[in-house]
Amino acid sequence: MDDLITALKRRDPDALSQVFTDHADKIYRLAVSQLHNEQSADGVVQDTFMKLIEHIDGFDGRAQIGTWLYRVAYNECMMRLRGQRPQVDFDSVDETGVMPEILIDWRELPERMVSSSEAMAEVEKAIAELSPALRAVFILRDVEALSVKEAASVLDISPSAVKVRLHRARLLLREKLAGYFSERVNQTK
Amino acid sequence: MNCEELLAYLSDYINDNLDEELVTAAQEHLSTCQNCSIVLDSTQRTIALGKAQQRGQQMSPQRQARLYSQLAAAFEKRSDQS
Repeated sequence: MDDLITALKRRDPDALSQVFTDHADKIYRLAVSQLHNEQSADGVVQDTFMKLIEHIDGFDGRAQIGTWLYRVAYNECMMRLRGQRPQVDFDSVDETGVMPEILIDWRELPERMVSSSEAMAEVEKAIAELSPALRAVFILRDVEALSVKEAASVLDISPSAVKVRLHRARLLLREKLAGYFSERVNQTK
Repeated sequence: MNCEELLAYLSDYINDNLDEELVTAAQEHLSTCQNCSIVLDSTQRTIALGKAQQRGQQMSPQRQARLYSQLAAAFEKRSDQS
């Protein structure tokens, strides 16, 4: 990673190409999940990499480019969301527990039902319905596999807040999908 | 371990982030509690589905190529300045 930063500082085009290949889709996914708009997400990817180009000379050897890019991208998303809806507090998080209520056994569902395009659309909808703060944690931890520490650094929250939010996000998603699958099961009976 | 405790430890259990003693206690509870076993399985499947759905989202290659050429031009311009 240090070599990559050095190469970027040298303005080595291959280094830019590598960073872009490694991170563009990840940043895009985070942005599109927050903004629900492909064009705005493209804009976030562009602005994030432009900031990298502007700031690369100030990077020290310990900097993690991936985490840095995510942090810039997340802040860009939040800025755009606040611009669209200034009256909404996007940072507020309900951290109370979620009690699982729908207890159908997914192991008994036909596989074609679980992986159908309709089910995947339901997954997308359930993720979109999470608050931005919970959604960001789910994306960074469960989709992009960042560590608790890395996710905390990107979102500028404590590691314990990452864990609490991830737990809540997972249980909320589970409940929504369990609701969807239980309806499908009842329809097939 | 009871259901409430299992639920509190669920995410750490899934992430393999519990002490051996708690893992054993969780497994003992799961072997006898059908509801908790369902919650564990459905949460793991939820994570897998969420990951698969989100990972499917990518920039179109055309937009990605256009964006990259803009960035490469800006990168080159800065190298002229430096």
